[in-house]
Amino acid sequence: MDILTNVALGFSVALTPTNLLFCFLGSLVGTLVGVLPGLGPVGAVAFLLSLTFKMEPASAIIMLAGIYYGAMYGGSTTSILVNIPGETASVVTCLDGYRMARQGRAGAALGISAFGSFIAGTVGVIGLMFLAPLLGRAALSFGPPEYFALTLAGLTLVAYLSQGSMIKALIMALLGLLCGTVGMDPISGEQRFTYSTLTLSDGFGLVPVAMGLFGIAEVLENLAVLSTQSVDQAKIHGLLPNRQDWRDSAAPIARGSALGFFLGILPGPGPVIASFVAYAMEKRLSRYPEKFGTGVIEGVAGPEAANNAATAGSFIPLLSLGIPTSAIMALFMGALMIHGIQPGPLFIAKYPELFWGFIASMYVGNVMLLVLNLPLIGMWVRLLKTPYVILFPLILLFCLIGVYSLNANVVEIILMLAFGVAGFFLRRVGFEGAPFILAMVLGPIMETSLRQSLLISRGNFMIFVNRPICAVLMVLTAAFLLWPIFTRQRKDDRMT
Amino acid sequence: MRRANITVALVFVSVSIFLLFAAGRFNFGTLRVPQTGFFPKTLGILLLLLSLVLLVQALRQKAVEPGGVKIATEGWIRIASTLATMIGFALVLEWLGFLLSTFVLMVLLLRAIEAPRWSKMFTVALVTALASYGLFAWLLGVALPAGILGF
Repeated sequence: MDILTNVALGFSVALTPTNLLFCFLGSLVGTLVGVLPGLGPVGAVAFLLSLTFKMEPASAIIMLAGIYYGAMYGGSTTSILVNIPGETASVVTCLDGYRMARQGRAGAALGISAFGSFIAGTVGVIGLMFLAPLLGRAALSFGPPEYFALTLAGLTLVAYLSQGSMIKALIMALLGLLCGTVGMDPISGEQRFTYSTLTLSDGFGLVPVAMGLFGIAEVLENLAVLSTQSVDQAKIHGLLPNRQDWRDSAAPIARGSALGFFLGILPGPGPVIASFVAYAMEKRLSRYPEKFGTGVIEGVAGPEAANNAATAGSFIPLLSLGIPTSAIMALFMGALMIHGIQPGPLFIAKYPELFWGFIASMYVGNVMLLVLNLPLIGMWVRLLKTPYVILFPLILLFCLIGVYSLNANVVEIILMLAFGVAGFFLRRVGFEGAPFILAMVLGPIMETSLRQSLLISRGNFMIFVNRPICAVLMVLTAAFLLWPIFTRQRKDDRMT
Repeated sequence: MRRANITVALVFVSVSIFLLFAAGRFNFGTLRVPQTGFFPKTLGILLLLLSLVLLVQALRQKAVEPGGVKIATEGWIRIASTLATMIGFALVLEWLGFLLSTFVLMVLLLRAIEAPRWSKMFTVALVTALASYGLFAWLLGVALPAGILGF
């Protein structure tokens, strides 16, 4: 009965008029961000983060979460209708979704993607509800060595999963960790790398860095090479999938939900990976794999379900261990910490109304998105036709005001622009921003736990191997680091 | 891509050497009692090592890999003018005030890709400045600078 009381508590928080409004705003902005290709969910959350400082903590995370899962819905709409993925997690949806639209089945594709997302989102939230408290309780016995091993394994896995060179991803992670050391030493309170400036005395601000790397850099990239995409819209007849569509999609949605949820828990860009893996899985399981890519509904249902379930799953490590596993979760952590709330094993016990309110709001948000998306599809597509000439100044203006509104500090605007330029150039030579931002947030946790562990063990590194959980995590870390070397060797052998 | 990789690797090598120097005055402590300098110095050394690996990889790279999309001169001009506009905005914001700076920012940014008609440009810029002021200052209660004109 415990869980029922908790769920009731959650809904009593989520259904207050204020929180309903913020949930609605979040979902709306999220869908918008998902629809528009110029700005990703990370940039949008970074921007809105600055506006949540004055809100109640519950309203703040409810709204930010709405943006995150809203973007997953919005991204699929444009993938299907105009073959432009609004964000990376809906790239695969283009493959069969757009083909379906070309064949005049846009309605069915949109419908199954919305319903599939809704079902998977709900499955994910239920999983989150059961698993997060469980993991949180287990994590109560974690000491500094476990935390160090956990952050190390998380960062390595993110580097391992990043596209392109792993060395480059590791370099980005190291740079992020180094940037995380700017400001006060978390143990002794000494100032590091601040050069007696006030702006840096608290370290690099998360918002200017994230908005630079993900907002400004993205705009600069679009300005560099203007793409003249013509929006060629397919006609929509009837949004409801027919009985055959449902029969074909039921199993992919179920599989996608389960797969997405578990992939979401792992570090890395969960929703993106989940959608790709789900597509591959459906293709392999299908009786007619050769038809994938020509407009089969399973190719839409599976990935769409997976990316939504993954968004729910990715909250688990943050809420129960206090460890963010992706750039966007790092921002959520920032949002909570600004209100003095430390996510981690004690989070659920200490702030039940916050945790359960957040869970309940995700149910509410999923319903809102279903209602919001199906009737408003026409409007979203029209928005997509906004010329970039008008769109990009608006995005930049929002970034500028967003950063300024934090501390009314012009230096932070310059900081954001500097990170934007750096991000733009680094991305062109194959360095991704995600490991950097994640490492920057994890840095202080990692440093504190490492130094505390060494204090406990009197400088003996065996402390990371002698404890069972640590040992497992360390083996995983080593495996992620060494795996690419072995596989490259094999590839080289084959080539010669 | 090869030349770019070598350049980046060299940049990172110098960054890590700079960081190691900058961290020089922090006390490393011992492994038993690690101090302020322990973490930054360790990271700096790791960064140096990885940058050197990257450098060696880039030097040994033989095949001509296809790089990213090449940016034409117009692209660079668009980027430079946009950045200059935003830096200018940051510099004059507190002096000119929010409304005026935003209006000028929008006019300049709207011209960055192609020059639209003046009437259209001014309308969009004016509406954006007023709407964003309303949204941020009134609805969200953000303190925006008033500037010399008092608005």
